[in-house]
Amino acid sequence: MAEFLEYTLDKFTFKVATDRFYNPEGVWAKAEGNQVTVGVSDFFQQRNGDVAFAEVKDVGTAVAANDEFATIETIKVDVELPCPVSGTIAAVNEKLELEAEVINQDPYGEGWLAVIAAANWAADQANLMTPEVYFEHMKVQAQEEAENL
Amino acid sequence: MNEKIVIVPCSGIGKTYGTVSREAAYEVIEELRPESAQLVPLSMLVLGEENARAAVAASPAITIDGCKLACATKMVQESGGTIAQDFAVLDVFRRNRKLKPQGIAELNEGGQQLAHALAEEVAAVVDKLNGKVETGDEKLRSSAPCF
Repeated sequence: MAEFLEYTLDKFTFKVATDRFYNPEGVWAKAEGNQVTVGVSDFFQQRNGDVAFAEVKDVGTAVAANDEFATIETIKVDVELPCPVSGTIAAVNEKLELEAEVINQDPYGEGWLAVIAAANWAADQANLMTPEVYFEHMKVQAQEEAENL
Repeated sequence: MNEKIVIVPCSGIGKTYGTVSREAAYEVIEELRPESAQLVPLSMLVLGEENARAAVAASPAITIDGCKLACATKMVQESGGTIAQDFAVLDVFRRNRKLKPQGIAELNEGGQQLAHALAEEVAAVVDKLNGKVETGDEKLRSSAPCF
């Protein structure tokens, strides 16, 4: 499978990384064992604009799937992010404190938000979207967004 | 210095951060440093207007970009101008988090205050370029590379 699925609408191209899972809000989860790295999708970052501030709950905080675990303040909106996985926050990307723009620059890489020590990744994964499903979901969101402009 | 320092703000219409950049530029040229700074509209540079190109060729420019596309900075460079300092509204907002800008045609109070904060930073750079740096009050606060 290709590294990314790509969808172009007007002058925008949105990429969906194919090596992870997604919730409907555009938060991705990529597991290595029970350590699940989470971040936001390319569509999320393009839709919401340049990130001014990103704040993730402290390391050690217990989170449940769909609970808010981070907030992102962009030039357009303030967004509360639902966690795609249950567990305990094991690490937070320290770059976000001074270089929150890394979320825009590299949403699937250096712009990761946190690592969650998952309580039951298999169960959470079953509730998330595959890249293919999220790709179709994102296309609909992008089209709706374009129609509302 | 005979030539006024050139200020080129973002031309993004319908964008809050573009409005902040222009309001800041207006404040500098109309109120804070009318004797030593002039505004060159980005649209004139895009059109290749002769007087606009001559202005950026004759004097260092301070650019104020509303977003990461950095159109103002890129256009001054393409026009043969010298960037003395490039400001990004987002960076200024990061330094003034309580001043959340909203509105487009008319900025909210936070946006107006952010524009004022930005204008003071730009005015400090104008002073520095003119050799009139005020010391002791940390007026030059931009984190962007300077000169």
